[in-house]
Amino acid sequence: MGEAREPMHREVGESGMKEARVLIVDDSAVMRKIVERALRQAGLDPLLVHEAGSGTEGLEVLGTCVVDLILSDINMPSMDGLEFVRRIRAQKLACGVPVVMITTESSEEHVKQAIEAGARGYIRKPFTPEQVKERVLPLLGLL
Amino acid sequence: MALSLRESLHLVCDPGNLDAAVEEVFQLMVGVRCLRHAGPPESEAEPESVTAMVGFAGLLSGACVFKSGRAAALQIAARLTGMEFDAIDDTVKDALGEICNMLAGTWKGSIPDLAAHCGLSIPAVVTGRDYHLRVLASEFKLHHCYRFEDARFAVIILCDGLK
Repeated sequence: MGEAREPMHREVGESGMKEARVLIVDDSAVMRKIVERALRQAGLDPLLVHEAGSGTEGLEVLGTCVVDLILSDINMPSMDGLEFVRRIRAQKLACGVPVVMITTESSEEHVKQAIEAGARGYIRKPFTPEQVKERVLPLLGLL
Repeated sequence: MALSLRESLHLVCDPGNLDAAVEEVFQLMVGVRCLRHAGPPESEAEPESVTAMVGFAGLLSGACVFKSGRAAALQIAARLTGMEFDAIDDTVKDALGEICNMLAGTWKGSIPDLAAHCGLSIPAVVTGRDYHLRVLASEFKLHHCYRFEDARFAVIILCDGLK
């Protein structure tokens, strides 16, 4: 648990960039697709997306897959996004992988709670691909 | 001194905040500009409608409700997802639930005391015909209709408790 497992092969895009591996956690399948679309529009190519419909599913994915970035909603049933981030850190899953919250909750208190839980960034819904680019690419060392 | 929303009531009841939330969500996520519409939210010829609800709890208790007819629901879902729909399926309901979620969060976020002291529920979506929403003991209600192109919808902020 928590050990890095490099896949045998990672695709390389035309730009020479290695494939970015992203986990998107949101109870809405529609929102997961919208976030994926925004990541591609932000220039993440090639992109491999893992999806999870809950914090619990997200932890299961992280137990078997290596990712470079995690994007998570906050308001989700059974395990909210803040608890999900706390458990990632507590269980030492995805060590060093940045987590960005994507959520309708916009208060300073929510941002503070997210950072304290271990998130490295925060994007408020509704969002533009440009906002996603500004928040996400620097965390991947791409901007 | 305990925090009270009653001193910010003018902000909470300001219809401009709801208009601004609708404009932001639809411009950024659906790619359309919405205007207030004076008529009913859905065509008389469309008996089937979709209602999405997100609850508020905290300093304000109540709900944000999004309601539209079938045609508008399919248009909004198509623009949001980039897919085509000919029926109100689970993806359409998911899409409208997310629209309502963002409307609720954006409206709530425009009122400082509310942003930090009021939580949102997970969206619930109801579809069907000939049903009506009735709220008991309402503190206040904002009920606006909007349109873009030939699509019309209503957004309602209901409050049944204010601290």
